[in-house]
Amino acid sequence: MELTRRDLLRWGIVLGGGAALSSGQRVLQAANLPESPPTRPFVVELTKANGGIPATAQPVRPFATQADPADCVNVDGTTAFHVHGPRTVPDNTEFFLIHEQNTQHSFHPDLPLNDLWGYDGKVPGPTFVARSRSFPPPGGGRAQLVRFVNDLVEGRLDIGEPITAIHRHGGFQNPEDDGYPLDTFCFRESRDYFYPNRAEGGLLQNEHSTMWYHDHAIDITAENVYRGLAGFYVSFNTLDTGNETDPPPALGLPSGDFDIGLVIQDRLFDRNGFLVYDNFDHNGFLGDKFLVNGKIQPFLKVQRRKYRFRILNGSSARVYQLFLSNNQPFVAIATDSTLLERPVTVQNFRLAPAERVEVVIDFTFAPDEVFLVNRLQQTDGRKPDKLVDPGTPLLKFVVAKNAVRDPSRVPRILLPVTEGPAQLLPQVRVQRRFEFNRSNGAWQINGEFFDENRVDARPRAGEPEIWILESPGGWVHPVHIHLSDFFILSRDGKRPPVLEQGRKDTVLIGGDVARETRILIEFEDSREVPRAGDRLRYVFHCHNIEHEDMRMMSQFEVQT
Amino acid sequence: MRLRLTVLSVVLLLGVVGGGCSERPPTSPTLPSAPPSPSKTPAPHPTDRQVAIRDQHLLNIKLTTHEGRAVRFYDDLVKGKVVAINFMFTTCGNSCPLSTVHLAEAQKLLGERAGRDVTFLSITLDPEHDTPRVLQAYAKAYGVGPGWYFLTGNKDDIERLRRKLGVYDLDPIVDADRNQHSGIVVLGNEPRRRWKAVSTLSKPVRIRQAIERTILPPNKWPRGAAVVNEAPYEVRDVVEPVDLSALPPRD
Repeated sequence: MELTRRDLLRWGIVLGGGAALSSGQRVLQAANLPESPPTRPFVVELTKANGGIPATAQPVRPFATQADPADCVNVDGTTAFHVHGPRTVPDNTEFFLIHEQNTQHSFHPDLPLNDLWGYDGKVPGPTFVARSRSFPPPGGGRAQLVRFVNDLVEGRLDIGEPITAIHRHGGFQNPEDDGYPLDTFCFRESRDYFYPNRAEGGLLQNEHSTMWYHDHAIDITAENVYRGLAGFYVSFNTLDTGNETDPPPALGLPSGDFDIGLVIQDRLFDRNGFLVYDNFDHNGFLGDKFLVNGKIQPFLKVQRRKYRFRILNGSSARVYQLFLSNNQPFVAIATDSTLLERPVTVQNFRLAPAERVEVVIDFTFAPDEVFLVNRLQQTDGRKPDKLVDPGTPLLKFVVAKNAVRDPSRVPRILLPVTEGPAQLLPQVRVQRRFEFNRSNGAWQINGEFFDENRVDARPRAGEPEIWILESPGGWVHPVHIHLSDFFILSRDGKRPPVLEQGRKDTVLIGGDVARETRILIEFEDSREVPRAGDRLRYVFHCHNIEHEDMRMMSQFEVQT
Repeated sequence: MRLRLTVLSVVLLLGVVGGGCSERPPTSPTLPSAPPSPSKTPAPHPTDRQVAIRDQHLLNIKLTTHEGRAVRFYDDLVKGKVVAINFMFTTCGNSCPLSTVHLAEAQKLLGERAGRDVTFLSITLDPEHDTPRVLQAYAKAYGVGPGWYFLTGNKDDIERLRRKLGVYDLDPIVDADRNQHSGIVVLGNEPRRRWKAVSTLSKPVRIRQAIERTILPPNKWPRGAAVVNEAPYEVRDVVEPVDLSALPPRD
């Protein structure tokens, strides 16, 4: 379907308006903050030069790793929980040095520069590219050690606290490297994070694809991520080699310039064009401007061929439902961190905070302009309202005139599942129940707030369990469990929809989605060098980040 | 004492900046037709943000303290101060008593900071019943310390303020239940423009820590021995029988 002038008018594109976009409406009841100033849509191109296509993080010469800082005082008054180091790393480990820095960021030429926080001063941060050591791509696998340095100052915005912890979301890593919310480091301090880049349990099915890294400091994560602390962390392996010209059994998925991460976020600006965060609203922050890779409603020039897009919802509380304007379906190839067993063709998909869906879009026969559109309206942090027509276009693909040679493929089998529910369910001996609920104006799990001195579950490594995640109060909660992926077994007793039958590390529960969700999860020990006294404590929490900061978080301790 | 001077100097510094710029002409609410040039990077004005927060959230409503003094919420209780604000009512048998106990405990833990560096404001949701005398008796019963005001006033004013401070529920039925609104304490450092909220049902030590962090800029937060040791480590490991029959059939 070609885009008509009527469509454009309905979207307000011709009028150049940014106001009152139907799915961007905000009804904040604590404050009637004014709408953001207008910005012209689709005037900013996503390019490598302007950071709209994030640069790849470059390794540095190996350095001596250091002990973790222990004296950074957290927002909640505690100090670091896991203090280790120096890290023991394998010989061929790749080293990275990333500075968390203030940066003068341009969201849009119609707005002034904003004083954001970025990894290496970039918003989004540089993309890390990992190569699996368990099932290496051609050329071999490498572990990675990243030293993050906190150079953040309060600067010109009243958003965030310059106290950070870094979580590689979806990553299989040791507790001291997981960005446990109390393992923070303060201004002028740094912390080393070791990423083993091994598949959990040594299983090919557990190889990861699209992870992301973001701030995870206790009580202040929402504001710190809102101010810019997020980036992609992708991984390749023997099947998904990162080179579309590799012959089978390599998958041959679109690669290089045709493999692009897109992080979608909503933001709010004051009348002068400066970023605003509403500290009085604890339901979940919603903005009325939509960013793709840090730019408001940008465009991307594409060739007439297949592209792999790693689409991440990096928003605090907003759930999206994404469509293409020409009614072309998406070929979904991965959910959250992991490739699907088989590609799934969908007309649209829902994307809750922190979820990822990887899609292949073939522009060979596309019209000259294709829009990525959000049609889910959401007006408060409780849950999305409804699908609307036409919705809000987030990104315009500008398709080149002539077709090009496209060596990439989307095979019928992507990542075979050898230990799925059929194999694991007979081994399940433990079932746990976690109720995510609102009580007295705050959010709790099983009636409790997060407390680092309380463990709520002690699963045994290598023993699959059923977890029942309930949200009886009508709110949606995107629940994220650290360390391990899981399978969704049921949604209110029914089989999950087709795009939820792959591996997940974040699942939206409650609201109109499902009051009760059952998942199958099996944890493994990530340590290569176990030490006496290690405690394998990891958190799980609501990824509506305002809820998380209000302590809708719990922790488990893996027993070995 | 040194800490106190630091806090004062921060307040003074901001006061000077704010005063100097209040003479700036107000920015037009409509945007100029030409978008601002990104090459110029005007800083968001601290005063702008402070004024926006005041206008949006800190209603200057008339209130009466438990000592019978007539005050204005913003002018007399919040402006230039660090505050811990909660809503309660004296006949509440739900979570209010525990909230007041936790806040009183946090106030004790704050030691000499209480009343000096932070003001506690407890506003009744039942102003018709909770007269200053009733509130005074309540304050006495809970043994609250200096710098803690129990406040009553016009019911509609208080309801508006409650919503503006973010103490509300999106579900109107839940919101109509007064018992639901005593579980949050809103913490603010008005001159620093920092605002957040914590649950009054969390441990008093947490509330105290959150208040200290609201008072002080991050580089002045207490370190080392000043950080309170937590309660002993607790393990819960509740499991239930596995019920595979609740699962849908698979292929």
